[in-house]
Amino acid sequence: MESTDAFTLENVEKTYGEMKAISPLSLSIKKGEVTAIIGPSGAGKTTLLNMLSTIETPDNGTIKIAEKRTSEYRNPKELAKKVGIIRQQFDLVGSLPVIHNVLVGRFTDWGFWKSFWSFFFPQEKDIAIQALQRVGLADKMYDRTSKLSGGEQQRVALARLLVQRPEIILADEPVSSLDPARAEDVLNILIQIVKEEKQTLVTSLHSVELARNYFDRIIAVREGKIYFDQRAAEVSDADLTNLYQLTELNEHADKTPPLS
Amino acid sequence: MQTKLLHFHRKNILTFVMLMVFIGSLFFVDWGKNLFHSGGLSTLAQMIQGLFQPDLSPEILQLALVSTWRTLAYAVAGMTLALILGVVLGVLSSGILMSDKGIGRFLSKSIFRGLLGFMRAIHELVWAWLFVAASGLTPFAAIFAIAIPYGGILGRIFADMLNEVSSQPLNALRSSGATRMQQLIYGYIPFAAPDLMSYVFYRFECAIRSSAIMSFVGLGGLGFQIQLSLQDLKYDEVWTFLFFLIGIVVIVDVWSQMVRKRLVA
Repeated sequence: MESTDAFTLENVEKTYGEMKAISPLSLSIKKGEVTAIIGPSGAGKTTLLNMLSTIETPDNGTIKIAEKRTSEYRNPKELAKKVGIIRQQFDLVGSLPVIHNVLVGRFTDWGFWKSFWSFFFPQEKDIAIQALQRVGLADKMYDRTSKLSGGEQQRVALARLLVQRPEIILADEPVSSLDPARAEDVLNILIQIVKEEKQTLVTSLHSVELARNYFDRIIAVREGKIYFDQRAAEVSDADLTNLYQLTELNEHADKTPPLS
Repeated sequence: MQTKLLHFHRKNILTFVMLMVFIGSLFFVDWGKNLFHSGGLSTLAQMIQGLFQPDLSPEILQLALVSTWRTLAYAVAGMTLALILGVVLGVLSSGILMSDKGIGRFLSKSIFRGLLGFMRAIHELVWAWLFVAASGLTPFAAIFAIAIPYGGILGRIFADMLNEVSSQPLNALRSSGATRMQQLIYGYIPFAAPDLMSYVFYRFECAIRSSAIMSFVGLGGLGFQIQLSLQDLKYDEVWTFLFFLIGIVVIVDVWSQMVRKRLVA
């Protein structure tokens, strides 16, 4: 075994009321892999990512992060050093200046008084400046975050991840609210950071195009199960057509209504 | 079908019945000469005359200025204390510092909500009487009489605002390893601050009026002067003081508009 797992899922199951969001599902993602999770709306991508980020816990089965069960991460700061999260928007505090949102990434190490002091006199500014330079926003450091455009806000979220320096980055539809050019721009920076920092990346994506162009491995999810799991280069057009085909003829269709 | 139609017109029928009752009741009013007491109309005329010819003599203006300053000082000091009380108790009664599970959040919520309820259940005038009885006619009586009920109101509103902060940015903070206190400073408060500030300004306006009224108890200030002038039947003086009261309320309103614009932008 030359490399260790970033995520190990064994028979993970999740049900909301009558609805089965994730059927028993097993999966492992190696450290350093750059993986995209694709699939039609309601396939369970977000549920899967929420479970990986421990926002939700599975009904059955176990999830290990870096070979350690999720339930064993008692300290949120310890978990934040392992896993960092970026979502599609609304993740930043709009009324605060950009630098505060970036420095939140340092909360893994900062105690209360340091973060309190930093609210008035930003601490460890150099780290924030470096991170903002890498995403090309050094000049917007003291701007109110809500004044930035959608693409710029996602880049601020990236700068926060740069400061947080987790081993694994989970991205939940990180570019779905951006236009195609901005989406490519943000994804480019994200992949570049991940490769440079030798991090692991797991992203859920709507766009098959982006998944094939930017990622190494593609996991397709449909109706809470893994539909296929392949190197990005090996994914054929026929696979994708089948994946997104409407489920009217499927006998389980009425039992598994789509999740939003 | 009939019953459904009846159900549909339920409110209209009730409105009609109540309107009829009101109109009917007008026939039972004794529209005699007792509606105004004798001389009431002439008093009204004097009041209206005072409105257009307020007493602008230097002594009265100076007295009004000093009383205005005193009223404003009570309101500012009371409001400052109320803000501190409201923020601290509001955070505690919102329960956001406690973990979602467990009895801690429930206890913190119920104890501090109860305390806030007690503070604002008693009107500021009653608090003023209580404090005057206890500490005499000192400024502290007026300040505490404003601070306690207003702290109760602000705390309650602030707790509601904190509980309504959208969960996505808070989840993001949590996943960055932020503790609950760090979430409070970098998440809850920045989100709630603009709404809270505009509410504080509205309350400050109320505090000025309250502070003026409060001085009827004998605490000095605009209300006290109004009362003295009323007793002397000097309506022109009453209006001078009232204009000063209206003036500070308008100034605070303009100021709050300016601050709100900056916060929301």
